Amino acid sequence: MTSSSFVSQIKQQITTLTNPDIAPPDVSLTNCDREPIHIPSAIQPHGVLLTFTEADLTLLQVSRNVTTVIGLTPEQLWGQPLTHLFAAEQLEQIRGCLTADFEHVNPLRLSVEVDGQTRSFGGIVHRADTVVVLELEPLQASDEIDFFDFYRFVKTPISQLQRTQTVAELCHTAAAEIRRITGFDRVMIYRFDQAGAGDVIAEDRRADLKAFLGLHYPATDIPQQAKHLYRLNLLRLIPDAVYEPVPLEPQNNPVTDAPLDMSLSVLRSVSSVHREYLGNMGVRASMSISLLKNQQLWGLIACHHCSPKLLSYELRTICEFLGQSISLELATKSETEDLDDQVRLQSIQANFVKASAHCQTLADVLSHNPDNLMALGRASGLIFYEGDAIISFGQTPPEPVISKLLDWVEPQFEADAVLYTTASLGLRCPEMADYRQVASGLMALRISRVQKIYLLWLRPEVVQTVHWGGQQKQQEGVDADGLTYLSPRKSFERWQETVQMRSLPWKACEQEAALELRSTIIGVVLQKSDELALLNADLERSNSELDSFAYVASHDLKEPLRGIHNYSSFLIEDYGDQLGEEGQHKLETLVRLAQRMEDLISSLLHYSRLGRAELVLHRTDMGEVVTEVLDVIKISQPEPIEFRIPRPLPTLACDRIRISELFTNLISNAIKYNDKPHKWIEMGYVSTDEDRATLPSALQQAGTVFYVRDNGIGIRDRHLENVFKIFKRLHAPGRYGGGTGAGLTIVKKIVERHGGEIIIESAYGEGSTFYFSLGEVEHV
Amino acid sequence: MYKQPSLSLLVVEDSNEDFEAFRRIVNEVGTMDLSIVRCHDGDDALEHLQQRQAVPQPPLPDVIVLDLNLPGTDGREVIAEVKQNDKLKTIPIVVLTTSSNPKDVEACYRFGANSYMLKSMDIRLFKASIQQFLDFWFKATVLPSSNQESRP
Repeated sequence: MTSSSFVSQIKQQITTLTNPDIAPPDVSLTNCDREPIHIPSAIQPHGVLLTFTEADLTLLQVSRNVTTVIGLTPEQLWGQPLTHLFAAEQLEQIRGCLTADFEHVNPLRLSVEVDGQTRSFGGIVHRADTVVVLELEPLQASDEIDFFDFYRFVKTPISQLQRTQTVAELCHTAAAEIRRITGFDRVMIYRFDQAGAGDVIAEDRRADLKAFLGLHYPATDIPQQAKHLYRLNLLRLIPDAVYEPVPLEPQNNPVTDAPLDMSLSVLRSVSSVHREYLGNMGVRASMSISLLKNQQLWGLIACHHCSPKLLSYELRTICEFLGQSISLELATKSETEDLDDQVRLQSIQANFVKASAHCQTLADVLSHNPDNLMALGRASGLIFYEGDAIISFGQTPPEPVISKLLDWVEPQFEADAVLYTTASLGLRCPEMADYRQVASGLMALRISRVQKIYLLWLRPEVVQTVHWGGQQKQQEGVDADGLTYLSPRKSFERWQETVQMRSLPWKACEQEAALELRSTIIGVVLQKSDELALLNADLERSNSELDSFAYVASHDLKEPLRGIHNYSSFLIEDYGDQLGEEGQHKLETLVRLAQRMEDLISSLLHYSRLGRAELVLHRTDMGEVVTEVLDVIKISQPEPIEFRIPRPLPTLACDRIRISELFTNLISNAIKYNDKPHKWIEMGYVSTDEDRATLPSALQQAGTVFYVRDNGIGIRDRHLENVFKIFKRLHAPGRYGGGTGAGLTIVKKIVERHGGEIIIESAYGEGSTFYFSLGEVEHV
Repeated sequence: MYKQPSLSLLVVEDSNEDFEAFRRIVNEVGTMDLSIVRCHDGDDALEHLQQRQAVPQPPLPDVIVLDLNLPGTDGREVIAEVKQNDKLKTIPIVVLTTSSNPKDVEACYRFGANSYMLKSMDIRLFKASIQQFLDFWFKATVLPSSNQESRP
């Protein structure tokens, strides 16, 4: 039994829709939505309708066909008490029905005696607009159905329905069972989507009829106020769509002086548009049963028959009961399916977390099973953005397009929102219209605004996703000569127009899934960053241990060396004259070797610390650095050398001390490994906007490139890489002033610490050029 | 007639060679009358200083020269102990070590060391730095006289 507040609430909505004085100016409403179908003041001709006052049972309105059905004219009935028609015990039944007395429920078995002729009716009573409405349908002898028949009728279908597992199965079974009970030519299950468009998801039909399964209908096919009525009145029957509506007389309810509210009337005359629609489909009789989920219209059971078909009230009640059972099953089945979805989602999340364990980056984790992630958003394309990096999976627009897409998406997010969805991307973002086939729907998840981490799901245009339930290229009931509207085929075409540039809508549960995924991702990222922090702490610890170790090692190594060095010196001082020249020379060699050993240890210590010490970046004038280095070098260089600096060197961010060390090493080497009588060394640079073709290819994309060029001995090609290896020397210690073999290793390390690269070009015997960049260090 | 040396130096050094070299150079370059006492490690040094506090004779050292990497009690601990002791804290401590680790330098000054010197490998440089050390602490600097009070 529908609660009265629910009824009045829905009636209010219908009134608002259809009253031209108070209807909100809503452009999406069609004229059909405005048609006041709940107050036609007319009925279908297969029964009669009477209204009377509840207090004294005075007849107020009657349908004009009382003359033919009962045998009395309206004039003979107006103002008369109901006793004029029914015996006292029948009046009791009618009263009992109004007070919901269990003994007397719809349908009542009533009979009217006129001119000695008794006519039997099934009677249905309800209240409307302060009056009582009584609808009578002539009884056929075969219409007798008692409780046991009812049980027999519903037992099988109910157990069949309960045996189904999924919503789809349930709908197919429901269609088959309703058709078996009622004998309609075609029984369909419609489902409405969020936008109100319909979709035939199950069908049971006479074998010779074309299938409608899989067809879609635009929301406008069922006007809004009709949908409201469907929630009130769960079953509508049109025994013969080709009928002449029977008007009520008088037209208005005399008590309210307004048309009678016929929302709950079973005989209510239907809209002519609807009858025309049925006619175009070749349908003579139709019945529809509402399927509600959480008091909302979820779908309909629609029954069609190619010839007129009258269904008794009892049989209709059985169908209505089955409809309600199906609604209940539907609720549990969808909950189960939601639950399955949840489980599926959980397992996707779990896999995600599991995958993250042995992946280094978020991109790796996402790439691990993109199909799963696409399934999570029921999408056919997925794009992952992380800073400037883009990875895409499935069907997506080409790379240049998706790199611009994020620029458009970012400002779309509400203030603190992390999710943005649209089911019509091409309409929102015209640049994307050309890619409607793969990207009509977009669900964008912001994982980190600062780091620009986003995950985008893409959906194709709905039209691309429609599954045809059969091979219907030609629709039943559509002839080519001038039927321009109101047929399933036309409806389908109209529906296709409404879904141009649109994708299936993003369901709440899909959006929820995305948000849950975000929490998972952030959890994973946090865990990773925790791991990273631990690693960093570890690294710091091992770095500082390495540091201490390097110092201790160098101390422990130097101590005995110092002993050797000192004692050799003391020997020379104290006994030099006794040792002779050869002995002295040997001791001097010992001193020199100890000294050299100490140099090696020092550069090893220096090199090992270089990789760990923090760089101190400041804007540095490279010209100044080189000048200082040259000043120091000139002091210890007796021979004249030409230092060429073709143009002033630029200023950029670097660690001044390290860079100074770098130039010292490069320039000292250039001097040392040079046997030309006239030695020259050139220091210069190539900026980013200059011709870079002369640079080594590895450095052509780098920032500013510096070079130190000499006319020295050059390096053979096969040694080009060796010169950077620590303690790797190309010459005997005595030649070219001998170094420790760590200089260039340190140079390379300094360049790499700055994020740059160093490349040598050399012509053996003619000279070498050391090119280096210092990475793209931001200006400090 | 026995003359009390006017200045005393406590050297804490575990390496015999290093101590020998140090003493040789001090004798070579030093012009002042300086007595040198050597302790082999930190414990040894702290014990020595404790005894000197209790007994008025012989006096406390005027300057302590301390190597850092000592077996057992580390040089840093020696600095901390001395600088927390009211009687001893006035004695200047000069760290003489191989370690150029900035952390070591930082730690020594934090504990209250008065100077930090590196042992150079090159004998000429080493001699020069010891010469500077002696000139600075025993000629240029006025030392606290509290250590001398017990002397006649």
